[in-house]
Amino acid sequence: MPAPQHPPRPQTARPAASAASPASAASPASKGARRTRRPAERQPSLDDPRIMLDRQISSDLYEPIPPYPTRTEREAEFYTLGDGEMFLNVGPHHPATHGVLRLVLKLSGEQIVDVDPVLGYLHRGVEKICENSDYYHVIDQVDPLEYLSSLFQEWPAVLSFEKLMDVEVPRRAEYIRVLSGELLRISSHILYMGFLALDLGGLTPILYGFIERDEIVEMLAALTGARMLFNYFRIGGVNGDLNHEFMSRLGDWMSRAGRQTEANAGLLNENEIFVRRMRGVGTLDRATALSYGVTGGNLRASGVPFDVRRAHPYSIYPELEFNIPTRDEGDSLARYLIRVDEIRESLKIIDQCLHNMPDGPVMAKLPRLLRPRPGRAWGAVEGPRGMLGVYAISDGSDQPFRFRIHDPSFVNLETVTTLLPGHLLADTMAVVASLDPVMGGIDK
Amino acid sequence: MSFATRTWDGMSLRARLLAILIPVAIVAALVTVGAILLLGPPFLDFLGANMPLVRFVVAAVAILLLTVPTAFILIYLELKVIARMNLRVGPNRIGPWGAAMSVIHGLKVLSKEDFAPTGTDVTVFTLAPVVTYMASVMSLLVIPFAPGLFGQDFNIGLLFFFSMGGLTVVGLLMAGWSSFNKYSLLGGLRSAAQIISYEIPLTLSVVGVIILAGSMSMNRIVLAQSGSMLDWFVFKQPLAALIFFIAATAEANRTPFDMTEADSEIVAGFATEYSGMRFGFFFFAEYVNVFIVSALTATVFFGGWTAPFNWPWAYNLNWFHPLSFGILGWVLIVANVVLVGTVLFAIAARLLGGREWGLWDALGLGFLFLLVAVAGLVGTAGFIAFDWVAGIVWFMAKTYFFVITFVWMRATLPRVRVDQLMGFAWKWLLPASLLNLFVTAAAVILTTPGGAR
Amino acid sequence: MDRSLRSRLEARLGDYLRAPVYQRNDETEIRIDPGAVPEVLRLLHDSVDLRFEILADLAGVDTGEVMQVVYHLWSPMSFDWLRIVADGLSRDDPRAPSATFLWIGAEWLEREAYDMFGIIFEGNRDLRRIFMPPDYTSFPLRKDFLLPDDAARSPGGGVRHVERTHAPATLADDPKAGIRRAPVS
Repeated sequence: MPAPQHPPRPQTARPAASAASPASAASPASKGARRTRRPAERQPSLDDPRIMLDRQISSDLYEPIPPYPTRTEREAEFYTLGDGEMFLNVGPHHPATHGVLRLVLKLSGEQIVDVDPVLGYLHRGVEKICENSDYYHVIDQVDPLEYLSSLFQEWPAVLSFEKLMDVEVPRRAEYIRVLSGELLRISSHILYMGFLALDLGGLTPILYGFIERDEIVEMLAALTGARMLFNYFRIGGVNGDLNHEFMSRLGDWMSRAGRQTEANAGLLNENEIFVRRMRGVGTLDRATALSYGVTGGNLRASGVPFDVRRAHPYSIYPELEFNIPTRDEGDSLARYLIRVDEIRESLKIIDQCLHNMPDGPVMAKLPRLLRPRPGRAWGAVEGPRGMLGVYAISDGSDQPFRFRIHDPSFVNLETVTTLLPGHLLADTMAVVASLDPVMGGIDK
Repeated sequence: MSFATRTWDGMSLRARLLAILIPVAIVAALVTVGAILLLGPPFLDFLGANMPLVRFVVAAVAILLLTVPTAFILIYLELKVIARMNLRVGPNRIGPWGAAMSVIHGLKVLSKEDFAPTGTDVTVFTLAPVVTYMASVMSLLVIPFAPGLFGQDFNIGLLFFFSMGGLTVVGLLMAGWSSFNKYSLLGGLRSAAQIISYEIPLTLSVVGVIILAGSMSMNRIVLAQSGSMLDWFVFKQPLAALIFFIAATAEANRTPFDMTEADSEIVAGFATEYSGMRFGFFFFAEYVNVFIVSALTATVFFGGWTAPFNWPWAYNLNWFHPLSFGILGWVLIVANVVLVGTVLFAIAARLLGGREWGLWDALGLGFLFLLVAVAGLVGTAGFIAFDWVAGIVWFMAKTYFFVITFVWMRATLPRVRVDQLMGFAWKWLLPASLLNLFVTAAAVILTTPGGAR
Repeated sequence: MDRSLRSRLEARLGDYLRAPVYQRNDETEIRIDPGAVPEVLRLLHDSVDLRFEILADLAGVDTGEVMQVVYHLWSPMSFDWLRIVADGLSRDDPRAPSATFLWIGAEWLEREAYDMFGIIFEGNRDLRRIFMPPDYTSFPLRKDFLLPDDAARSPGGGVRHVERTHAPATLADDPKAGIRRAPVS
């Protein structure tokens, strides 16, 4: 590997001199000299085209080869270019990477040979923060992770804490949790459909989707007080009962939600270009999906009917009637259609919740300061993107000793390393968007 | 201290300026009048002797100037129409209903730094937008807007158009190659592959039309379609029209085929590294291309400036002759119309608006309404009396119909993939256009008495 | 609580269990040696009466005394989550076998555990940092990494590998430092 090398900086204002000694420009001596330079002396900018013109650009100036010795064999293999191949950095700031994902693609022409996803641009160490905040505060620390559907990130946290403390949650609270959760699942899937179309070049579906999402988010704001980061679930219940504004908005929306969803889906489902770009692209077969630990709609699109709501029921899901849509194709189109089907199922669940909503309290009686007995608990729920899990260890203090967050997008995104090679550059966007990653959750 | 110095010292700045400018203006006016008197007749003779050249220069300048408002209108139209299709409002801040938005865009782009990033090949980088824009403007040269209203009537008009369309790809390729950016490179190469592939069905699809019209001159093609709507080539060559429209979409890099600047894949492609007016040139060229492609579709397949049906009364309005009133009559008419019309409209506005409108508001509004009404009347009269006015109205109506179709497609369709794009061109469009060509040729041979000429 | 799962596990994995099978709520927990991880995972995955085919989670845990690797598995044959605790990795040189031979998806989960705890998974082909920058030297989720601490001063805990570019400060440098230790596990 080449040694770490900075772009050779011209040492003086004269371009000819800098062209003569590009190597010495990067040496420590010249760095020292730069520091003691008088401010009146102008440092020629690398961005000055005149300088670049009369100097040969060194070949490693913009090589994406990491400026450190490669750490693993895989990395060394990846960052070695074959004949006719080139690297392409997609992201971290790219319109189609859903946040700050960076995919280093190794391309041969437009065909992807290999891919190395680079994560961590949004990493804030939420697990560590949660281990240093008390049990109540954990809930709003985890909110921004799954920012498109943050209730689903609160849910496993409170679920695992309730298991730690053996808290009985009132049934009305469970119903409200399911109701708000399914609303948010619909909202997330609608955005998924829109962003998928946007990444394929369709401008309109995302805006139609935002109309529905805004309705949902407004009604949840009436319920929880916030539009995006709700901080609504509590250990042993929810923060506040259903109110009139929420119910009236919900009823208003439910009266046309099914029709509207079908219309929005029809805009894409019946579009020949869209279907052709999705069918057979990024096919994830059953065995691979299982071995990657993929969950959620991406797994069900590969033919595995694993849905935590049925596979490991929590809350009141055993009492509700709904189907687990599965498909066998495993391609991007199947992943998309699974989401559309799930919206329909979620509408059914919301309907049942509204009809069966029991009376009663929405919070269990709990002390202000929680000190659960030492122990361990794993809580998992089915979010829009798959299984969200929390592994919490208590040491008897008022803070969790270990708070492990399992995010489905993290595992789902991992499959791009097998899904992308062999496809074209344009398919990157179809595949990544169809996997529905949320970088907040991935980077934690 | 003389009188002149004291006066000069006593004058304000404005007065000093006037004192300098007024004599200069008088002298300049005298010199101009003298020059016109002395040199005018020979100059006019010179112009008259070189009439084709003069006509060409004037037409070229007019067309170059025409591209700017065309691009502005198209950009605004696209912003607004797509917004309405997306259930948004669209631009609504600058000008009435946001109509000056694209002008402001243009000014913004002009005021930006002229900038070439590190590592670019500056010469090529600078020339690329110019080449692209030039290709667009030169394509516009052969389009007949109305009878007698065209840049140049080549007898190889269509061929010229296609060659200029091929020149666009050179500009895009230059931009992609010189930008020192892999996204740009991909965009440039995509555009090369795409435009070269779609040139073939595009050109082949109009060969049937050329056979039918017997000429490649745009004017001849339009004249061959004159008569009624049924004479339009779209009814004689429907397959060709469809192929032409699809291929033209690809040629203009519009949405289902906008691979070169696929903003969610290769981040604006060839234009990634461009900013300021260099980007503005690309942007303008794109919209001028949309206009050109629409105009060409209208010209070749939809009768160009010919009306879809005949106007029996069109040229019979002999009573309306502008010179029949005399100069004094015109002055009286105009003065009366302005006064009476303004007052009438002002009264109407006052009655309708109630106390909302003050007197001056109502008068101003009345004048505006009067202008609109007079413009409408004059336009109608011109439409009836002059066939070039009618021609330009029909031509623009048809062209903007296709422009809006392009905008509509952009709002509706996702982008195809690059291999599907090429496959579509070579596997479907090319055989279909060949089929169309053979069928047309066979039909012409069979129906012409004595065989083909 | 799935009592039958307990008996099945005991029958299958009797020799590997370091502690009795522990069950609470809907979770069953077994405790094994790190060295036994491949065999145990293989058995759990392949046995027809167990079929733990979904790796729900892989997490590192620092108890303050030892390191653990915790696997959560799901099987269609049981209505319990299965938790496998590979216990007793030394904090100075935590090493555990990789699970990537069975679940490719464990690759990134192990990278994350390595990034956060410095646990080296032998057999993972791509064990490098995943969240933290490549020149980072310490492991943030370890219990001796204190939150307000500057990352550069935080101790790396005696792990020797490529990320170590300079000797990090030790705990003794920070008088306020203290390790929270888990009374259980």
